[in-house]
Amino acid sequence: MSVTNATDRAADAGMPAVRMEGVDKWYSTFHALKNIDLEVARGEKIVVCGPSGSGKSTLIRCVNQLEEVQKGRIFVEGIELTAGPKNVEQIRRDVGMVFQQFNLFPHMTVLENCTLAPMRVRGVSKAEAEETARKFLTRVRIPEQADKYPAQLSGGQQQRVAIARALCMNPKIMLFDEPTSALDPEMVKEVLDTMIDLATEGMTMMVVTHEMGFARKVADRVIFMDQGEIVEVAEPEEFFSNPKQERTRTFLGQISHA
Amino acid sequence: MIRPFGINEFWFIVMAVQWTLALSAVAFAGGALGGLAVALARVSPIAPLRYAALGFIRLFQGTPLLMQLFLVFFGLNIFGSGINPWLAAAIALTLHASAFLGEIWRGCIEAVPRGQTEAAWALGLRYYDRMKSIVLPQAAKIAVAPTVGFLVQLIKGTSLASIIGFVELTRAGQIINNATFDPFTVFGLVAVLYFILCWPLSILARRMETRFAVATRR
Repeated sequence: MSVTNATDRAADAGMPAVRMEGVDKWYSTFHALKNIDLEVARGEKIVVCGPSGSGKSTLIRCVNQLEEVQKGRIFVEGIELTAGPKNVEQIRRDVGMVFQQFNLFPHMTVLENCTLAPMRVRGVSKAEAEETARKFLTRVRIPEQADKYPAQLSGGQQQRVAIARALCMNPKIMLFDEPTSALDPEMVKEVLDTMIDLATEGMTMMVVTHEMGFARKVADRVIFMDQGEIVEVAEPEEFFSNPKQERTRTFLGQISHA
Repeated sequence: MIRPFGINEFWFIVMAVQWTLALSAVAFAGGALGGLAVALARVSPIAPLRYAALGFIRLFQGTPLLMQLFLVFFGLNIFGSGINPWLAAAIALTLHASAFLGEIWRGCIEAVPRGQTEAAWALGLRYYDRMKSIVLPQAAKIAVAPTVGFLVQLIKGTSLASIIGFVELTRAGQIINNATFDPFTVFGLVAVLYFILCWPLSILARRMETRFAVATRR
């Protein structure tokens, strides 16, 4: 057992968490992603930014196939996502996602939101699922809300539940699709702090966000997208102080006025 | 030859309510099962299933219920089941209710925000769990009011079964009228009995609609 694990780990060491090869996506005639090549290493934190309609959400939604691509190949943890529905199912179990609109299940309590998938997908017992759920609810600092319904919580609390719900599946990669964009300003920090905790613990993260403070603090690389293309990829220090591309400079100029 | 409208005639008509209720219950139960299947087929990712369900719905929405009753009634006869008004009415109304409930419930399923399905996908939940635990419970809440509304239509629709000779409320009225020639009293009573069946349901439907509207405002 331990031998296999060791060999696996050795073989896995160089394998990226996510690899995209020549990915193209169209929405009917609109070319949403253009020839995307990208590798995300294990444990790496990527921030994706860009103007609205640039394809940044589409990019991360391709990683668990909420969006299907028409061309190219995507590998997640070495498994080819684009090879068929069986692989998609397997990959979705290992990729957690947090949405802009939280998307909690409104007819279930916080605890039920967190235990459903581990019980139904992983076959974990109810007791074990609840124990795990309470552990993660404590980590996102809302253990006392377990028996409430989503509508009884603030936006920031709901988003932290959404993070806990994803973590309960013990994912290898976490995707965040503008996780703070729907929040009142005073609640942004509590969600970002939770994400920073997660980053510190070594989670592989792909985050679409306009929170440039978060990007500076947490990101290993920042990706700037425009019109479906990856325009620039750089470490945050370099990205913010010395952007190479004209389009990046224009974008950074625009958001610094906001 | 003409009898006066007396207490026996009155009870004959009132007792026929049970057959109206029985036919409605069978059609509604069958229609609920069929409707769920039709609704799920309508929102299925499998295209042939979607088109089959759509064709089924269009067929039953685009033809009069009376024709559907005739076709099943005479169709059963051709296929050797003999003349059986009860079976024919039950089958025709079940198919009818399946089509209409299927279309109503398709709308309710599609009214559940897409983000709910996406969250379920992202958690790796498979079709069965996605539908059973996430989509259908939320669709059901939206569906209660229009479903009760349709039930009222269905109860009234069972009166057409009188034409193929099934003795429910309307047919009982016709029988008594043929004997008493007192149509105003007879069909007045029949109408009142339908009203007593349907009115509380209409109120219930309206109340649930209001409650749902309040619950979803915010």
